[in-house]
Amino acid sequence: MVEILTSQVVSGLATGCVYALIALGFVLIFKATDVVNFAQGEFVMVSGFISYTLLIRFGIPYWLVLVLTIVVSGFMGVLLERVVVRPIMNAPIFSIVIATIGASIVLRSSAGILYGYDVLPLPTIFSKDPIRLGIVSFTAMDAGVIGFSLVIMAALYLFFKLTKTGTAMRATAQSQTAARLMGVSVPRIFSLTWAISAGIGGVAGVLIAPIIYLDPNLGFIGVKAFAGAILGGFGSIPGAIVGGMLLGILENLSGYFFNAGIKQVSTYILLILVLVVRPSGLFGAAPVRKV
Amino acid sequence: MPRRSRLGGAALVAVAAILLVLPNVADNYVIYVMSRLFVYVLVALGLNLLTGYTGQVSLGHAAFFAIGAYTAAVLAERWHWPSVLCLVGAALVSAAVGYLLGLPCLRLSGLYLAMATLGFTLIVQEMLLQLSVITHGSEGMKVQPASFLGLTFHTDYRKYYLLFVVTVAMLLFARNLVKGRAGRAFLAIRDNERAAAAMGVNIARYKTIAFAISALYTGLAGALSAFIVGFLDPQEFSFFLSIQFITIIILGGLASLLGSVLGACFLIVLPELLAGLDVWQALVYGLIMVVTIIFMPFGLSGALQRYAHRWFGIGVEPMIPRRLGH
Repeated sequence: MVEILTSQVVSGLATGCVYALIALGFVLIFKATDVVNFAQGEFVMVSGFISYTLLIRFGIPYWLVLVLTIVVSGFMGVLLERVVVRPIMNAPIFSIVIATIGASIVLRSSAGILYGYDVLPLPTIFSKDPIRLGIVSFTAMDAGVIGFSLVIMAALYLFFKLTKTGTAMRATAQSQTAARLMGVSVPRIFSLTWAISAGIGGVAGVLIAPIIYLDPNLGFIGVKAFAGAILGGFGSIPGAIVGGMLLGILENLSGYFFNAGIKQVSTYILLILVLVVRPSGLFGAAPVRKV
Repeated sequence: MPRRSRLGGAALVAVAAILLVLPNVADNYVIYVMSRLFVYVLVALGLNLLTGYTGQVSLGHAAFFAIGAYTAAVLAERWHWPSVLCLVGAALVSAAVGYLLGLPCLRLSGLYLAMATLGFTLIVQEMLLQLSVITHGSEGMKVQPASFLGLTFHTDYRKYYLLFVVTVAMLLFARNLVKGRAGRAFLAIRDNERAAAAMGVNIARYKTIAFAISALYTGLAGALSAFIVGFLDPQEFSFFLSIQFITIIILGGLASLLGSVLGACFLIVLPELLAGLDVWQALVYGLIMVVTIIFMPFGLSGALQRYAHRWFGIGVEPMIPRRLGH
C-alpha cells in the first residue's frame, strides 16, 4: 500500500517537474515582456514532433536529438516573438493573448496536417521497470525526468545569477527603462527570453511525450502548466516550480483514489480553493495598484 | 455627434430590414447559421458587459452556456414546463450561479480570475458527465423544439425569428444598461477600482451584478441554442468554447456592443466560408485571427471607430486600457 502510494507520488512528481518546466516558460516571458504566451504548450508539442522525426526518420542519437530539438524550438520562439508579438507590443494585453492563441491554432493544425492525429510513440532512453529503494518504488524514467528537470532548473538559476546576460535579463524584468539606460538592448533580451522559454518547452516536450502521448493536441498540457504557474503565483519563478510539481502530484494521487474524470478536475478545484484564500497564488506578491 | 448618430441610425434600419426579409430569400442552411450567429451575439453581449465594460476577464462562460442549456432541457423534459418558462428559468438559474461565482471572484483579478473561471468551466463540464442521472452523462440530451401559444418553433425559418426577436430585445437592454448608471459604474470599476470606490461606487455590488447579468445573457443563449440545435453534447461545453467566446469579444472590440456583434459575425461566418478548405481550415482560421489582431489590435469596432475618426472626422478615437483589472 505504502509502496503504491510512494510510486504514485514519484510519478506525479515526474509529470509535475515537466509542468514546472512549461510553467517556467510562461513566467519567464511574462516577467520580461509582460506578455502571457498561450502558445507555450505548442512549443512542447512541436518539440515532441521534431524529436520524433529526428529519432525515427533520421536515426540521430538521443542526446544529439535533445540538443537539436532545444535549438530548433528556441528559434521557433524567436520567430513567434518577432512575427506575432512584437508588432503589437503596445496593444491591450488580451489582444496579445488572442494573437498567441491564434498562433497556437496555426501550429497545432500544421502538426495535424503533417503528422495526422494518431498517437505516435516517442522512444525514451529511460527504462520503465520499477526500482525499489526501501519503501520508495519508482521507475528509471521517473527518476530520469525528475533529475533532468532539476538540472535544467539549476542551470537556469546559475545563468540568471552568474552571467552578464542573465543579469541583464533580470534588470529588464525589473525596469525596461533603467535596463535600457544601463546599455542593455531590450529587444535583444526579449528575443533571448522567448528563445529560452521555447527551449525549456522543447526539453519538456522530449521528456513528457514518452510518458503521456504524442499527437497535435499535446499542447493542451500548457493549460495545466498555466494552472501550476497561477497556483504558485504568476510571475514568481519558485512559485512556478512548486506550483507545477504540486499539481502533478495531486493529479496523480486523485487519479489513484478517485476516477479519471475527477483526476482531470481535482487540480482546478484545489486551484480555486487556494485562490479564494490567497488571491495571488502561493508565492505571488499582491498586485501593486496604482491610483 | 449628430452626423454620426444619423449615419448609424440609417445603417441600423438598413441592417434590421435586411435581417427581417433574409429568411424569405435565403436557403435553410444560411438561416440556420444566422440563428447560431444570434446565439453567439447574445453570449458576446453578456461577456462584453463583464469583461469589456467591467474589466473582469472570464473564461467561465462555456459553463454558464452549459448551465442555461441543460436547465432548459431538464425543465422541458422532466417537468414539461412551457418553453417560455424554460427560457426564463434557464436565464435565472445561470444568473444565480453567476452571482454566486462572482462572490469568491471579488478578490481575484486579471490572470488569476481568468484561471479560476477556466477551472469553473472544466469543473462544470465534468459535472455534466458525472451527474448522469439528470444530464444523461456522455450520451447527451435530446431537446424538443420550443413552442409558444400553440406555435411550434421546429423549422429553421421559425427558429430564426425567435432568435431575432430575443437578440434585438437583449441588445436594446444592453444598450440601456451601458448608457445608464450601471454602465458608468462598470467602466469606472474597470478603469480604476479605488477611484470608483472613492466616487461612491459599491465595487462588490456592481461586480457581482455584472457577473449575474453576464451569466443571464449567456444562460439564455445556451437555452436558445439547446432549442435550435435540439441536442446537447457535454463535449461541446469545453474550455475551447470559453476561449472562443473571449476571442469573439476581443476580435470584435472590448467595451463595445457593435464589437460584440461584429466579433460574433466574424467568428461564426468565417469557419463557414472556410469549410471548403478541408484540413487547411484550422490553419487558415488561425492565420486570419493573428493577422486581424496585428492590424486591428483594438478589435473590429476599434478599427472602425479609429478610421471613421481619422478619415471622416466622425466620432472620437477609441480609448481602451492596456490592462484589464490588473
